[in-house]
Amino acid sequence: MTTESVPAGGDPRRLLSDVRTLAHRVRRDQRVTWFALLVLAVVTLAGMPFDWYGMKVHCAPGGGCEFARRGVLLYWPPALLLAYAAIAVWYVRAARARGLGARVLPYAITGALTTALFTAAWVAAALYFPSHPQRFPEWVLVFDRLLTPWGMIGVALLVLARLERNVPLLAFTAGYLVLVLAPVTFGMDFEPRWGIRAAFLPQQIVSAAALLLGAAGFALARRRQR
Amino acid sequence: MTAVAGGTGPRADGHPVTGLDEVVHQRVRLGILTIAHEARRVEFGYLRDQLQLTAGNLSKHLSVLEAAGMIGVEKGYEGRRGRTWITLTAAGDAALAAEIARLKLLISRIETTDTAPDR
Repeated sequence: MTTESVPAGGDPRRLLSDVRTLAHRVRRDQRVTWFALLVLAVVTLAGMPFDWYGMKVHCAPGGGCEFARRGVLLYWPPALLLAYAAIAVWYVRAARARGLGARVLPYAITGALTTALFTAAWVAAALYFPSHPQRFPEWVLVFDRLLTPWGMIGVALLVLARLERNVPLLAFTAGYLVLVLAPVTFGMDFEPRWGIRAAFLPQQIVSAAALLLGAAGFALARRRQR
Repeated sequence: MTAVAGGTGPRADGHPVTGLDEVVHQRVRLGILTIAHEARRVEFGYLRDQLQLTAGNLSKHLSVLEAAGMIGVEKGYEGRRGRTWITLTAAGDAALAAEIARLKLLISRIETTDTAPDR
């Protein structure tokens, strides 16, 4: 055998510890978490005008208003698919430049599946609820918020955190999902001033801000690791 | 030590040391397999840097693993630059899993021996 320069075997504890350290280092070098979060933040910010201008509002003379968020349906499915494709390509390129393979494909597939799920749910709701108006309990509304593009972003991020065994990303995603599902708006309420079109803005602002802050945080952490 | 290339796991009978795979039970080669397992595909330069080896030394270890059928080596070019990519084979994956299982078993044996009351 041609390996005399390195002692064979060794203390099993040390060998196992070396294995864990190396595996951790590889996983860390494969990550481009900041880029994924940045792309999703940009997509969320760009989606706001689509929701605003794409919303169909019909107000009755008595004061009640009906609305349909057509802009969300038009903008988000292609935007999310493009975002996941861009993230996958960037992950592969970045990992390749570092001399590694990437483990991003399941994330991109999950992203595409969750996009299809949200689109199907919204199309079904748009077809069914106008003729069957209903009042839902709070738990249904939480589920409804999960089936939004912002909720689906969180679900796909959970998969990325699992793939990368990335505990900070898991913690970030848990916090992000709380913000989306609660929903937390930090007291922002633009509806009295700008009407029903502005009712969903605070949630989107909070979601985009959280993703942007996450991107900045992970980029900073990455820079410090180097 | 018994050489059992691509062994299937720790033996229930006998001491775990008897089942150690000579090809894998080596710090550098275990490192190569670990990195290739995590990365799916790893470039020669990354392995050299992470394992802090010379190119020649790394090549020797890679030859041993390739001869044992544990890794695949693919040479190519990116622009004018030559690059060598290493991938783990199914046999390599199984050997790595078996080695880690044996190491854990060994550690648990050592710990059991350490904590056992003196006779």
